[in-house]
Amino acid sequence: MLRLGTKPEYMREMELDDIFLSRLQLLVIMAKAYLNQYPLGEFRQRSIIENAALVRIDAEGLAEEASALETDNLDSGGMDFEPVFYQRIKLLTVMAEAFAKGHALENHKREALEHNLESICEAITFRKKLSEMQFLKVA
Amino acid sequence: MREVAIIANVKIAVIDEDVVVRDFVVSTLMYSVNRNILAFDNGFDAWIHFEESGFPDVVVADVNLQEIDGLTLTSKIKQVQPQTIVALFSDTPQNENAAKEHGADVFMAKPFGVNELFNLVQTFVVEPDSSEDDSAEF
Repeated sequence: MLRLGTKPEYMREMELDDIFLSRLQLLVIMAKAYLNQYPLGEFRQRSIIENAALVRIDAEGLAEEASALETDNLDSGGMDFEPVFYQRIKLLTVMAEAFAKGHALENHKREALEHNLESICEAITFRKKLSEMQFLKVA
Repeated sequence: MREVAIIANVKIAVIDEDVVVRDFVVSTLMYSVNRNILAFDNGFDAWIHFEESGFPDVVVADVNLQEIDGLTLTSKIKQVQPQTIVALFSDTPQNENAAKEHGADVFMAKPFGVNELFNLVQTFVVEPDSSEDDSAEF
């Protein structure tokens, strides 16, 4: 039996923060795959649009929370990102929806997407290279 | 670039009563294989669907399910359709041995993320047929 996931001593229920970060990672992979001209397809497009919408809703809520905590100078007790980070995520969701709906990103928009991804990737970690995900190269 | 093939018309089902986790798993798998993903919130509905419409190639399910739990569902699936890959996930370490005893092919310890689901796809849904690599990375 193949074993994946957390070590036994760290096992616990998945919280909303876990899901938000995982969905954000997925969105970054979706954008990187687009920039590398990996094929889309009906269900990939649907998945990108749905994922972007859910990440945006969470990012908006977390941005408000981060702003309020910053104003009150309080500890978040969980994820500790600057409000601008959530603005970058919201921008990424808009860009992802655009390319998933077939709106081609011209050069300056592609550069903006790349720059935005670089900034977001400074704050979250990945354990795999895009090239390791061979199945993304077929649709 | 490495040529890969996804199982033709691969059929994957996700079963979890937690809609947030279930939808995340569905989104990730749908993106990975570019196919529709079946989703159920309890083991009974999933089992009825499998009996009436055919068994999936891969079932990804929580151990804790209403009506038919994940362990029982695994045993039932393996009795009827042993070639179906069953991946069980849980937040309880004790369920790992139970999953193995009931015939699960994969145990996914919570919390898990995109990487674990990609590993699942890479291991059970993709068949590589050449070995050239490329350099795209994060």
